Amino acid sequence: MSNDVQRASSSDAGTAIVAALVTLFGVAAINDTYDYADFDSAVFPRTVAILLVILSLAVLLRWLAQRAGFAAAPSSETVENGGSWLRRIALVVVMLCAGFAMPWTGFLLTALVSFGLLLVIAMHDPWTPARLVVYPLVGVAIVLGFYFLFAKLLMVPLPVGSWFR
Amino acid sequence: MSGFEALFAALTPLNLLLALAGVISGTVIGAIPGLTATMAVAVLVPLTFGMPPAPALILMGAIYTGAIYGGAYSAILLNTPGTPSAIATTLDGLVGAIALLTLAPPLSRVALAFGPVEYFWLAIFGLSLISAISEGSLLKGLAGGALGLLISCIGVAEVSADVRLTFGSQTLVAGINVVAALIGLFCIPVLIDLVATPGQHLQVVAEPRGFRLGEAVRVIMQRKFNLLRSSIIGTIVGILPGAGGSVAGIVAYSEARRAARPGEHYGKGEPGGVIASESANNATVGGGFIPTLVLGIPGTPPDAVILGALLVQGMRTGPTLFTDYALIVYTFIWSLLIATILMLPAGLLLGRYAYKSIITLPKALLVPSVAFMTIIGTYAIRNSISDVVIMIVLGVIGWILGRFGFAAAPIVLGLILGPIAEQGFVQAWTIGSAQQDLVGMFFGRPISIAIIAFTVFSLLSPLLMRRWKLKPEVAHVE
Repeated sequence: MSNDVQRASSSDAGTAIVAALVTLFGVAAINDTYDYADFDSAVFPRTVAILLVILSLAVLLRWLAQRAGFAAAPSSETVENGGSWLRRIALVVVMLCAGFAMPWTGFLLTALVSFGLLLVIAMHDPWTPARLVVYPLVGVAIVLGFYFLFAKLLMVPLPVGSWFR
Repeated sequence: MSGFEALFAALTPLNLLLALAGVISGTVIGAIPGLTATMAVAVLVPLTFGMPPAPALILMGAIYTGAIYGGAYSAILLNTPGTPSAIATTLDGLVGAIALLTLAPPLSRVALAFGPVEYFWLAIFGLSLISAISEGSLLKGLAGGALGLLISCIGVAEVSADVRLTFGSQTLVAGINVVAALIGLFCIPVLIDLVATPGQHLQVVAEPRGFRLGEAVRVIMQRKFNLLRSSIIGTIVGILPGAGGSVAGIVAYSEARRAARPGEHYGKGEPGGVIASESANNATVGGGFIPTLVLGIPGTPPDAVILGALLVQGMRTGPTLFTDYALIVYTFIWSLLIATILMLPAGLLLGRYAYKSIITLPKALLVPSVAFMTIIGTYAIRNSISDVVIMIVLGVIGWILGRFGFAAAPIVLGLILGPIAEQGFVQAWTIGSAQQDLVGMFFGRPISIAIIAFTVFSLLSPLLMRRWKLKPEVAHVE
């Protein structure tokens, strides 16, 4: 195996894992369609799931062929993301927690707290006294502005929160 | 309905105000580095859910128009971005909108001849095209499209009320809302990458003085053929399902470069380059609405978001849209023209006074603001926390898939086209089974054969193009 192929196959190993997971989802979907009462409900998802399994297996086979050196490695397909993984994970966790907490803590409190946390997570520059004052104030203004827009003008029933009822 | 009736409806103070507000907000979000036109439309589209269909469409169209133009700010950063590109944007946007006004109605009459099986094949054609055009591997693009089709089946089936693909999860029983999925797939991956790295603060070196309108008009008039050619390229590329502004910009730029006159130095600040790419980019807006409104197949990713919002409004796109909702559709088209004209003053003022603050917005404020907007916007669709959770989870899945070459666009298109494809497929299957001629039903009708031929061609074209491009190089090496 040449160095190029070796490098491409190791950096592209995630493709194989993703393709395998997609294949599994396709197989699970095919299996699911056998539980439907009406054949009309099953025919389309089953056809698409079979197609998905074939295509993801083809991706997997191509990866294997590249690994074995039978095909050219498409190095441009995968994206090398640099940057902080901790911040990425924290962003997703805070957003998910905000979604799950909203029925209890209500929209306003959840939004203010999650905005503050995300502000800290996204802050790469040093905190100066001016930033410490201005950024949170801007955050509060944005949250309150959107709360007013959605709750009062567009009449969207934002969650009040079971804690405050 | 007369055309003037729709024009007068578009000119009401509320609609004009909405068009202006949409253009300004779209420009501001589109101008923020890292955010795209698709994201601008996806983030702002929930604002339209409480509105009647016509104003909602007007606001969405104006946001889209503004966002495409706003995207040029951080890209150009030469002199005052508001001046030459605002004029170019206005002129070429008009070309796209006029194409929409004149081409969409006759095409919708042609599309009326389509039956269920043709709609099924049309959906497959749309998927094949975006998979072929989307960056990365064709196989992964097609797999992404199939994944989107399968995700569109999640929830209670329309035909028989069977609960499909929920795997026991109550959160999924109500199905995947298209707009929530679009917000997740387009916005969350951008946020995940934005938060991970320090802000790249752009240095604005030039200090603009005045609007420099005369200079801009002179520059554009000297390159009027470039403007016209690029606008036409943008409109045509916009009509092709799946091909967006970036494809149009590249094609128009390379054409302008090919046709360059002596003394024009493309790649070194030549205004013709900005005119070509921006003209084509903006002309895709009007062009992209043609397949979106006529066939229900989105021309560009922002069109996919707008299509999802139309479904939320209860409007079903397709050829009957021009008869069932004629006043709304024509009001929207006229408003798109008006929004394009409003681009000029909005672009001039924002470009002159606000662009520096927009493009240097601190990431620490940008990330939580956009994250907050995605949550509140998704919640507003059906007042559902489940939609918010699904949006975030789909966004994370989209980011992981994107890392390994499975682009979001084919998945989104699969999601949008899923119901159209399924309805066509099941109806054709039922009729074909009753006639005991399934093969004839799917492969024997003239329009179907034509669409299948286009589908096969679109799938094979990247391979043919690659082979065609490789040949001279091989010959050269030899």
